[in-house]
Amino acid sequence: MSQIALELKDVQKTINKKEIIKGVSLTVRQGEVYGFIGPNGAGKTTTIRMIVGLMKPTGGDIKILGKSIQHDYKEAAQNVGAIVENPELYPFMTGMQNLKHFARMYQGITRERIEEVVSLVGLEKAIHTKVRKYSLGMRQRLGIAQAILHKPKVLILDEPTNGLDPAGMREVREYIRRLADEEQVAVVISSHLLSEIELICDRIGIIKHGEIITERYVNEDDSDAVEKKIKVVIDVNEPEDAMNVLKSMEVDVVQEGKQLIVQLQREEIPPVVKTLVEHHISIYGVTGIKATLEEQFLELTGGNVIE
Amino acid sequence: MSEYFKLLYNELFKIYVRKSTWAMYAVLTLLIIAPAVLILSFDDMQKEYTDNWREELQKENEEYQKDMAEMEESPGDFVEEYNSQTIAKNNYYLENDIKPLNYGAWTFTLENAGLVSVVSLLTIIIGAGIISNEYRWGTIKLLLIRPISRTKILLSKLTSVFLFALCTMIFLFLISLLTGAIFFGFEGMNPYYVVQTAEGFEHVRIVNEIFSEYGYKVVNLVMMTTLAFMISTIFKNSSLAIGIGIFLLLGGNMVVGIFSQYEWAKYILFANIDLKQYETGNVWIEGMTLGFSITMLMIYFVVFVVLSWLVFNKRDVAGH
Ligand SMILES: Nc1ncnc2c1ncn2[C@@H]1O[C@H](COP(=O)(O)OP(=O)(O)OP(=O)(O)O)[C@@H](O)[C@H]1O
Ligand SMILES: [Mg+2]
Repeated sequence: MSQIALELKDVQKTINKKEIIKGVSLTVRQGEVYGFIGPNGAGKTTTIRMIVGLMKPTGGDIKILGKSIQHDYKEAAQNVGAIVENPELYPFMTGMQNLKHFARMYQGITRERIEEVVSLVGLEKAIHTKVRKYSLGMRQRLGIAQAILHKPKVLILDEPTNGLDPAGMREVREYIRRLADEEQVAVVISSHLLSEIELICDRIGIIKHGEIITERYVNEDDSDAVEKKIKVVIDVNEPEDAMNVLKSMEVDVVQEGKQLIVQLQREEIPPVVKTLVEHHISIYGVTGIKATLEEQFLELTGGNVIE
Repeated sequence: MSEYFKLLYNELFKIYVRKSTWAMYAVLTLLIIAPAVLILSFDDMQKEYTDNWREELQKENEEYQKDMAEMEESPGDFVEEYNSQTIAKNNYYLENDIKPLNYGAWTFTLENAGLVSVVSLLTIIIGAGIISNEYRWGTIKLLLIRPISRTKILLSKLTSVFLFALCTMIFLFLISLLTGAIFFGFEGMNPYYVVQTAEGFEHVRIVNEIFSEYGYKVVNLVMMTTLAFMISTIFKNSSLAIGIGIFLLLGGNMVVGIFSQYEWAKYILFANIDLKQYETGNVWIEGMTLGFSITMLMIYFVVFVVLSWLVFNKRDVAGH
């Protein structure tokens, strides 16, 4: 396993006697993309503010590559890049002036590096336009550009796909994946868009009321689904015949046009298909549908209700 | 060290890239040129002395005396004082055989010392915005996640406010000199000039006089700007800081006036801001000395900066 890049140990935050974060612990390894999901007001942004040093935790510790953000601020902050909430940049400056401004706050960021980042986020055409005239998506891209300028080892993105068009989202997703895979960057992404998270993350943590209530690998759910029934869609030409066969096998089945939706356990799939074939029913497709993260999320958090 | 220069560059860049800053300079330029036009259109405000200046001065004195005699019945204090002062000054010229300096660029620049208050006002506006604007724009979040301590960021901001003041003072000086030269001509590289001091009249270099006049007013600029900087850092609100800063810039004397009968009034900041009181000998409150005032000013300055620093360093950067 690769080295731990980001570590939160029992991090707490109390504001005005209200416990907003109640002991969050998590670790993100180099090259891992961690999805941070939770309903509105769960404490995602607050946790992120503490990771980047904007807020001081009232308890616990946060370490970036082993350096505490509270006690070794400079060394820790050196390796962090972030967008916190909306990508707010200087509106009266051009995109380039904004990037140069932040580049001056690090050692040794070259002109070439700035240009490389600009083309990575696809802002070449608009980079000399004032940020005031940018669309939300363009500001989001510039926000990502300033976050990765100094090649941080830990990248924190608070809702980075907010405001991006589908093509933009895909680009960002691919870029984040590449950063993680090729440059071993540890990435933390918070989002409401669960489908987005599912596509890029290796692991997700669900936070609610300031606590992480569950943490899992994105492709882990197959294993604990052994006992569970999976939805299987079977495409056939003669749905009525197939229905009769399936009913005689005593399985749960619903017909939808030429598709049959069957609830099966994993091991039951091959015998069912075999039986259908033996009854001379032509099968055009068998698709298993995983319960989406979205459904699990709603199940876990009890719906998107702010309490 | 180079890191600090880069921070200063950033801060100055953010000040000077904005159009509102240039609008300030436009207003300041207008405030320099407009009086020049006025003075030029009122011919008698710029007395020209020829080689016959001894007779001209004597004639002037006679006229002033006649004026004062006529006004015996309804004496206007101000006019009388002005006239008798001018007579005394003219006599000083005659006794010491000094030809009075004709009106020109240097004299005009000296008279513009009043515009240092405008520079103070602009600096207060910049100083009050330099931190609170970052909160307003939301950029504070991007500024404070860099591997640079908050202390350094705060100091670079305060320093760049004073650099702005320095640039603006130089601008005021040069544009005044240039405008004066264009409208009234140039009196020479380093002319002498007669001023009134506590001990009577003195013949001094006008450049020294300009520096001391501007210099005395800069004390107020520095103190009120630092105060506004502190208020805006603590309350994240530039309007409040600008309001208080400008009010005290113009009305600080009043505060001292109200409490002047008390012994502790000398510890009030505003009693110590006008260092010219020690040159003219017209000390506000008995027992105050130059050393005392400078010590008090330094204490106030340090307190303002330390309070800003404590709040800025400790504070959580949460929503707006
Ligand atoms: N400065 C603050 N003072 C007091 N309470 C705060 C402060 N900032 C946040 N909170 C509270 O902390 C809780 C968590 O807020 P946070 O912004 O971290 O949520 P979030 O998970 O980012 O939500 P969202 O999905 O809406 O962005 C909320 O209940 C909020 O009201
Ligand atoms: Mg949030």
